[in-house]
Amino acid sequence: MEVFVQTVVGGLTFGAIYALVALGFSLIYRTMALVNFAHGDVLMLGAYLGSTMILSFRLPVAVAMVASTLLTAAVGIGIERILRPLENKDLDLMLIGTLGFGIVLQSGAIIVWGTAGQAVRIPFGAAPIDIAGIIVQPYDLMILVAAAAIGTALYLFLGRTKLGLAMQASAMDFQAASAMGIDVGRMNAIAFAIGSALAAIAGNLAAPLLYVEPTVGVSLGIRAFAAAMLGGFGSIPGAIVGGLAIGLLDSFATGMFQGYGEVVTFVTFALLISLRPTGIFGEHTISRV
Amino acid sequence: MLDIGKRAGTRYVLVAGSIIALVAACSPTATNPPAGSAAATSAPAGSAGATASAGASSSGPIKIAIIDAQSGQLSSLGADEVQGVTLAVNAANAAGGIDGRQIQLQTFDDKGDPTTSTNVAQAVVSGGYIFVFGPAESTDTIAVAPILNKAQIPLITSGQSDAIANLHDPFVFLNTPTSSAFDSTLATYAVTTKGYKSIAMISNNDSYGKSEHDAFLTALKALGVTPVADQVVTPDQKDFSSALTSIRQTNPQALFIGAEEVESGLIVNQAKSLGLTAQIIGGAPILAVPFLQTAGPNADGCIGTSPYIGNNVNDQTKAFAAAIQKAYGATPDLHQAKAYDGAQIVILALKQTHGQGGKALADAIRATKYNGLVGSFSFDADGVGVHQTQLAVIQNGQAVPLQ
Repeated sequence: MEVFVQTVVGGLTFGAIYALVALGFSLIYRTMALVNFAHGDVLMLGAYLGSTMILSFRLPVAVAMVASTLLTAAVGIGIERILRPLENKDLDLMLIGTLGFGIVLQSGAIIVWGTAGQAVRIPFGAAPIDIAGIIVQPYDLMILVAAAAIGTALYLFLGRTKLGLAMQASAMDFQAASAMGIDVGRMNAIAFAIGSALAAIAGNLAAPLLYVEPTVGVSLGIRAFAAAMLGGFGSIPGAIVGGLAIGLLDSFATGMFQGYGEVVTFVTFALLISLRPTGIFGEHTISRV
Repeated sequence: MLDIGKRAGTRYVLVAGSIIALVAACSPTATNPPAGSAAATSAPAGSAGATASAGASSSGPIKIAIIDAQSGQLSSLGADEVQGVTLAVNAANAAGGIDGRQIQLQTFDDKGDPTTSTNVAQAVVSGGYIFVFGPAESTDTIAVAPILNKAQIPLITSGQSDAIANLHDPFVFLNTPTSSAFDSTLATYAVTTKGYKSIAMISNNDSYGKSEHDAFLTALKALGVTPVADQVVTPDQKDFSSALTSIRQTNPQALFIGAEEVESGLIVNQAKSLGLTAQIIGGAPILAVPFLQTAGPNADGCIGTSPYIGNNVNDQTKAFAAAIQKAYGATPDLHQAKAYDGAQIVILALKQTHGQGGKALADAIRATKYNGLVGSFSFDADGVGVHQTQLAVIQNGQAVPLQ
């Protein structure tokens, strides 16, 4: 029982990080119908910027997080701006473009920060909560709360605000949206900015639990991509549920099957997706060609 | 709206950009030009004039390849190896080279991937290189060894798996002890010196982790101890809650970690946060800089074993650390040190063969005795040159030799 509950705690913590990354995947997809394959590397950039501000510039953690998130969002806008000539014209080339940006970001990180990584410590030293031998770190709880709060805010923004609805409209039919006066290019830029900001927040939150290095976004990105698909690509609640589900699945699979755990995780994921290709909260609103 | 020409242009730019990025990622890169000499001229891999390496020309620069990960998850190991080798080669070139000939280093990025390693090895063979440093990963070394053997190109690897020595390849040399040497030292300390009877293991299932797992388990069994827990994780794993909670339930006196530096650090952090109080023991990664960074204060008290304990052990290690710091602004650890030793041995052997490669160079390397940073080298028939490791404990973030 102790192992079971502790596995749940560990799975939910990393699941919350996958959820935050999956939110970025889903937001960009539901606005542009584009899978941003550079998303994991954008996370890496955000984590590097944040940790550098903390370790080299001695900025307070909160300031470093806000500043690195804004800078990463600006990089996201830059990526969208370069890809903009292809928007609404050739999604395949845009996909290749995002792959290229991933390579550029990783190579750039090696040039700027070198191949060795950097480690940041958990920003507060609160004592762990011990419930009958089950250890819960306050920082883990904070990550869970942050993921829930950000997911809720994003859900409300997209469903209840004019800007959010305009972003959805531009994804559903960009010509009709343009005819209605919506600046589709601006919507896409906002989607990339928010998506990249979410990746940066995830990177900053994950940094004390990991080691910030040029490839830190690779495995997080793959699992978050699976989470977004499992939840239903484009769905905000789906990204949250999918992230937590992949986190739990991963933790239990590695616990039960040890070295084969990763294989079990992705085979189970593939089975689930083949049973329900649209994911848990699957939506069919994306129809851009 | 874009006109057709603009759209076509955009496609070409994107496609061309992607191709350039991919080609750049796969291409060899010339390392730092030798100090005090003209910039190294790099011959592209597979270029014209490539002949069998064993018969490389007796004039002009001596072409030596480094095959190591320069991108991907293992790129830090590759970067360390390049630093160690380049430092030694630059010094040799500045001192006149080999009979007046400069050594020309060329780095090939194998991404830490065995398939890429074999492709790169083919390029090295056709490129007229007479020697190879690397790869740092055991799996990659085993992948390239047959290709280089066929071309009679000797190599010195930083991989430490016993499987490399078991190739019995006369062209393969190791600049480090094998996993057996590391883990028998550690097991003897834990069981015989400390008297631990309850020892748990956690290791990953990549080539390094498996090699460590097998070597430590064999050493434990030889001492009559069966581990109370034997958990296997994956190299990409981030959450070890389940494995560590299972281990905690066995209440071990010691926990052996068989994983690379960063993963070992993450395991230690999570073990401490779960309240595990067992003595942490492990191989060389426990004493390396990335582990110390990742584990932070949790590293204190951990015990590791390595042929290179740290930079402050003696005058030789201090001078080496200062040279690496001056050249690259980096703090060296075992990876740079063993690469440097390997390079020194090859330079000595090249002086014996007057720059000739092939079997003559392999024989000269085998005959070389060298007192280096990681120990006194004397190669056996399997290419293992140094056979002992030392124990150290982490105190205040520094490795201190264990008496």
